Amino acid sequence: MQLLKRLKKASPGWFLMTAGIIILLLIPNLNIIINLFGEAGENWEHVRDYLLVNYFQNSLILVLASGLLAAFLGAGLAWIIAAYDFPGRDFLSWGLILPLAIPPYIGAYVYQGMFSYTGALQTSLRNNFQLNLSQSYFDFMNLRGAIFIYTIFLFPYVFLMTKAFLAKQSASLLESSRLLGKSDSAIFFKIILPLSRGAVVAGSSLVMMEVLNDYGVVKYFGISTFTTAIFKSWFGMGDLPTSVRLAVMAMLVIFVVLFVEKLLRGGRKYSYSTSNIRPLSRRELEGGRKIMAQLFTYGVFFFGFLLPTSQLLYWSFLSRGGELVETLNFAFTSFLTGGGAAVLILIGAVIIATTARMSSNFISNLLARITILGYSIPGAVIAVGILLFMLQLDQVFSFLQMGFGIESNFVLSSTLVMLIFAYAVRFMGIAFNSVNSGYEKIGKSYFEASRTLGKGVTETFFKIDLPMLKPALMSGFLLVFIEIMKELPLTMILRPFNFDTLATKAFEYASDEMIYRAADLSLVLILFSAAAIYLITHRRQRRKK
Amino acid sequence: MKKLIIVTILVSIFVGLGTAAIAAEEVNLYTNRHYDTDEEILNRFTEETGIQVNVLKGDSDQLIERIAREGENSPADLLITADAGRLHRAKERDILQSVTSETLIQNVPDNLRDEDNYWYGLTMRGRVIVYAKDRVDAADLGGYEDLISDQWQDRIVVRSSENIYNQSLLASLVAIYGEEWAEEWAAGVVDNMARKPQGNDRAQATAVAAGEGDLAIMNTYYLGKMINSDNPAEVEVAENVGIHFPDGDNGTHINVSGAGVVKNAPNKENAVKLLEYLSSASAQEFFASANYEYPVNPEVEASELLQSWGDFETQDINLTELGIHNQSAVRIFNRVGWQ
Repeated sequence: MQLLKRLKKASPGWFLMTAGIIILLLIPNLNIIINLFGEAGENWEHVRDYLLVNYFQNSLILVLASGLLAAFLGAGLAWIIAAYDFPGRDFLSWGLILPLAIPPYIGAYVYQGMFSYTGALQTSLRNNFQLNLSQSYFDFMNLRGAIFIYTIFLFPYVFLMTKAFLAKQSASLLESSRLLGKSDSAIFFKIILPLSRGAVVAGSSLVMMEVLNDYGVVKYFGISTFTTAIFKSWFGMGDLPTSVRLAVMAMLVIFVVLFVEKLLRGGRKYSYSTSNIRPLSRRELEGGRKIMAQLFTYGVFFFGFLLPTSQLLYWSFLSRGGELVETLNFAFTSFLTGGGAAVLILIGAVIIATTARMSSNFISNLLARITILGYSIPGAVIAVGILLFMLQLDQVFSFLQMGFGIESNFVLSSTLVMLIFAYAVRFMGIAFNSVNSGYEKIGKSYFEASRTLGKGVTETFFKIDLPMLKPALMSGFLLVFIEIMKELPLTMILRPFNFDTLATKAFEYASDEMIYRAADLSLVLILFSAAAIYLITHRRQRRKK
Repeated sequence: MKKLIIVTILVSIFVGLGTAAIAAEEVNLYTNRHYDTDEEILNRFTEETGIQVNVLKGDSDQLIERIAREGENSPADLLITADAGRLHRAKERDILQSVTSETLIQNVPDNLRDEDNYWYGLTMRGRVIVYAKDRVDAADLGGYEDLISDQWQDRIVVRSSENIYNQSLLASLVAIYGEEWAEEWAAGVVDNMARKPQGNDRAQATAVAAGEGDLAIMNTYYLGKMINSDNPAEVEVAENVGIHFPDGDNGTHINVSGAGVVKNAPNKENAVKLLEYLSSASAQEFFASANYEYPVNPEVEASELLQSWGDFETQDINLTELGIHNQSAVRIFNRVGWQ
């Protein structure tokens, strides 16, 4: 044991690289948080007196309602997919992840476009049935509408995590309760939900962070939340300290929610697994219940993916499509940036995760916290933190260049380096989690065996760990790739000259109220993300077989 | 194969980085406009002058913030953005510089450019009243001040006060009538609203056509966009509403999208050339009509559609006032609960 401990520590190279990456990740965040300790901005009192209550209420309602609904929807669907067999089940087991391919802001434009007075639904009611209903029935641009959008396009986070969790659970618990005559709904509420609570909460906290950070939907719907307030006080009033205060308060909302959940859960551990894992056997559904299950699952798929994409197809057709060459150009940029950045981020995540594995629990927990930090702070706030950091770097560079008498106007802050760095700060947590869960599956015994046989940490990593880590790397890569494809605030603020991605271009058209022109760009974007989702899910299945 | 792909991606990224730093005869444009016709105008500028235009598109406020943060090292030469209030904010953030050029003074009227020539308006729009043709008699409509009369109780639809166009409208009223009057006016409009502020300008016209309200406050160019929409239902909406240019005590509130040369512009001369080009008679026609706006250059006529809406009197203030009173407008909105 003593020997092992010594062996584990003997890897200063990995540790140094990790320390370097972590410092890079932290600096932009610190650059921002430092503002918190300065004086309050001149607008703070005004914001506090007239606006804060409203922001707080709206944000709280949106975050809680979307988090809860997504939790129920995701967990329920995961349960149906894991426990029952019915026609279409195999397709839906990955098809229900597809709503994640549609960025919520595009979803919001599509649904509003569909339900509005000039949209497909009301126009056909008017023209075919002479029905002129009160607009209040179709009012979509409010809290309820936003909650619907967030729930239907973000629930797959919960679905994914719960499904993966249920697949690992032993069948014996369920079979016992079935034998004891419990009804299926009783099993779901009394056993499945409590059992998978950890996974459901993890998924739902991702949903809540996305909701809290979202800018596109609430801006379009005209709902004041912390995020719109952050933008308003910063970019509208030029008051950075006030907006940082708001950003920190927004983070507090999430922490309080998660903390309360933890309190309620107490010290209880719900996961139940026996050493002899026999996977859940799925039960064939019959008659009315088969139809109910199909209606429910296909219904969610319909509203979360099929309907919005069909509407986009129709719009794209109405606008006779954009220029193909132009669209392909944006797609190429998106693909290259997303792919390249995702590779770099994955390399960083592997370095951190490998070090975390060799370190104490305390250190590895700390590393996990730090990497996720960028994900929990609003994108726009990170963006300016990074801009500040890059400008500081540029000053150092120009100083050095002058010192060596080099004549050059090369600056980092107008290149892609800045944007890719920003993606790394934001999405390192996601990549790290994927790599880490890959390592957890592998376990440590191979690593330790290799080390006791006298191989170095680096050699062991390349010969033993890396090949086994491949599936986790692939899904981590694809997850980060999807996120970057959909990413908006960072790209908008930090992009270099003459640089357009599918997401920025689609958003420009849409926010310019030219949703029809945005349609084909959105479709290509969705296609890329959907393909990535297909790859993630089908790699896993192949492995199982 | 996989390794090959990864290597290719990495190499292309770094090649991409390298090309960012090539210096030629160029001008760096930060703009919030993204119309396809703009590209054509800029290409023509390059053809005529040989100056390459690098474009960075983005949200107006974020572009301003970016230039401010970039400070002395900013590569930005020219900033184009919508709304005089915002242009003034850029001036206040100390990111623009004063530019005097005879061409510009000649092309851009007095009231549509900054007092100290920090920015110049390039295209103009009016913030007008749109009404339901079947339920409202155009004769009942006057100036903005008439919107608070009791006859419009629960009949007005308008977007949120977060929007800079509403802020500039209120700022213009502060400039003309004073803060107290403006606050009463804003409170009166809130009282007369048919629903909570929501959606964009287009949504207001749609709400009027759908019968949710009878009057909407919106920018002229949105109507132009609706009339030329790909969606037949939207065209129908635009045909069912009337457009009224507020007259009354004072004229219609106008605003511009405009441009200013950045304080630390590395290519200042080229920036001025581009600005002059955009205000010139040959560019103005396309530049304005891309977004269904009025050209600022008095030599250039507005498009046929805009002419069909008729002539109108404009508010008699310099647009710099919109920026000066923006803060107090925002605060009034918050106090009277105009969401």
